[in-house]
Amino acid sequence: MSATARIAIAASLCAVAAPALAQEITINSFGGAYEEAHRKCVIDPFTAETGAKVNIVTAYSADAFAQLRAQKDAPQYDVIHFSGGQEIVAASEGLLVPVTEELVPALADLYDFAKAGVAKGEGPAYQIAAVGLVVASDKVPSEPTKWADLMKPEYAEHLVLTDISNGYGMIGLLMLNQVAGGTLENIQPGLDAVGKLLDAGAVVVSKSPEIQAEFAQNDAWIAPYASDYAFTLKKAGLNVKFIQGEEGTPASFITANLVAGRDNVELASKFIAKELSPEAQACFSEALRYTPTNAKTELSDEVAADVVYGADAAKGLMRFDPRVIEANRSAWTEAFAKTIAR
Amino acid sequence: MTDRRETWLLLLPGLALLVLGFVLPIARMLVLSAQGPDGYTTEHFARFFQDSFYPSVLWRTVYLSALITAVCAVVGFPLAYIMARSGPRVRLWLVIMVILPLMTSVVVRTFGWMVLLARSGPISSTLRDFGLVGRSFQLMHTETAIVLGMVQVLLPFMVLSLLGVIIRLDPRLEEAARTMGCSFLQTMRRVVLPLAAPGLLAGSILVFTLSASSFVTPALLGGPRIEMLAGSIYKNVTQTLDWNFAAAQAVILFAGIALLLIPYLRLGRRAHG
Repeated sequence: MSATARIAIAASLCAVAAPALAQEITINSFGGAYEEAHRKCVIDPFTAETGAKVNIVTAYSADAFAQLRAQKDAPQYDVIHFSGGQEIVAASEGLLVPVTEELVPALADLYDFAKAGVAKGEGPAYQIAAVGLVVASDKVPSEPTKWADLMKPEYAEHLVLTDISNGYGMIGLLMLNQVAGGTLENIQPGLDAVGKLLDAGAVVVSKSPEIQAEFAQNDAWIAPYASDYAFTLKKAGLNVKFIQGEEGTPASFITANLVAGRDNVELASKFIAKELSPEAQACFSEALRYTPTNAKTELSDEVAADVVYGADAAKGLMRFDPRVIEANRSAWTEAFAKTIAR
Repeated sequence: MTDRRETWLLLLPGLALLVLGFVLPIARMLVLSAQGPDGYTTEHFARFFQDSFYPSVLWRTVYLSALITAVCAVVGFPLAYIMARSGPRVRLWLVIMVILPLMTSVVVRTFGWMVLLARSGPISSTLRDFGLVGRSFQLMHTETAIVLGMVQVLLPFMVLSLLGVIIRLDPRLEEAARTMGCSFLQTMRRVVLPLAAPGLLAGSILVFTLSASSFVTPALLGGPRIEMLAGSIYKNVTQTLDWNFAAAQAVILFAGIALLLIPYLRLGRRAHG
């Protein structure tokens, strides 16, 4: 089915649904603090404005995607959120309805990178989890400014790396690899860099709470990790700062997607419009320190200092192709395990 | 005739459970481990042995499990003996103390160890205060940490297996040995230990197989850099979704344990007379 045909069907569905608007949509959220913020910033205001009920299913991207695929003939979600690039595959398999400016006018205000895949039927990114350098600013003798600084010997014993089973750990490795001269076709330079850092005294952890433990108890100075987690550390009372490396800021995109084959596309579109609105994005940044994708979002100075914010900063954002990551995950995981094995 | 039919009827639920819960999954695992994109293949096994990484993970699994078993036996035997020879009230309390750790989640217990063994934990900081170790010393993410954590988790299995046997030994045998001139330690070595061998064997088999197949404690205490086979299998199943290779590793672990158990079982048969 062509994209235009799909839009036509979606539009006709709206027309049919309009008189008796189905006052209920089903979405997925990611649980915990994320879901709490989701409720506060998007779901509750949305319900207040439209009177529609929002059913929330707690499901991470991979699970949500598996459900979407399994329910192909009778989908249960109206809006589905992904953080691992699943929308690229979902769109190519025809599981999504393209989000258009007719359906969601706020799309016009998004930064270009956030809607790069919209033409291909992928949902827009409503938040960005940027990966940079999480730095204990009170302890580090001189603050790093670029990714290459990670290789400085004076940091080595105070450096925390994350296993690539963790999404941010994967992004951090790929960035380290790029800085070391590697590409997505060849991550050996990145692995060699990791090997060197470990020999010099860096530690590897596999779960984010361990990063907190390293900073709180073990005199860690620097960890390549995400801005939202830097804020978690801050809230825990640690004096940390999120620094964007000069070479660029790799990011994980959180997208909102319209599911194909549902009969209340209009209401679902309104929900996505709410997520893309400057107020909702400011609220999300305030609560969790994700980067907003709507250029009109205004943040307080305090929040702005912790996230990638503004047109100039957003220019540095980059995304490693999630399809390449997926295709290589098994081989890279094994190669990484061999690199770090004692 | 009816007798036999009744026996079969009684066996049926257990057998059905065994077939459903053990035989079928194992068969499926065997098939998976040899399945390739086009028909049957040995490539997953070849991948395991292509360089020294996976064999070294297997070796670590075997020797750490053996070490954990040995420590459990050395710690558990005196404990079980004292439990068997003390009065019923004291024994009850000792049994409760031994079993108590089994009543909390393994993750919670492991987190306790993580606090104790961390770089700023009491053990590392005390050693550092005495100037015995360097600034970045920690027991976390070492094989020692895995052994400590696993021994705590698995000690009850060893102690309870030993207790069941020692408690049934006639104390008069020991008294006889003592009156015949054996010292306490000689009595232990020549009378109690040989008679308790079946319990020691049963406990060792339990502890060894459980530690070879556990992954939560080793993953948390050993960290990502010290891998054991069960953790590697878990990673292949849940993260890289490489089920064929995971199955091949599971078959190798299974075969490895089975090979080690055969001599043990022989010993067991002899110990039972």
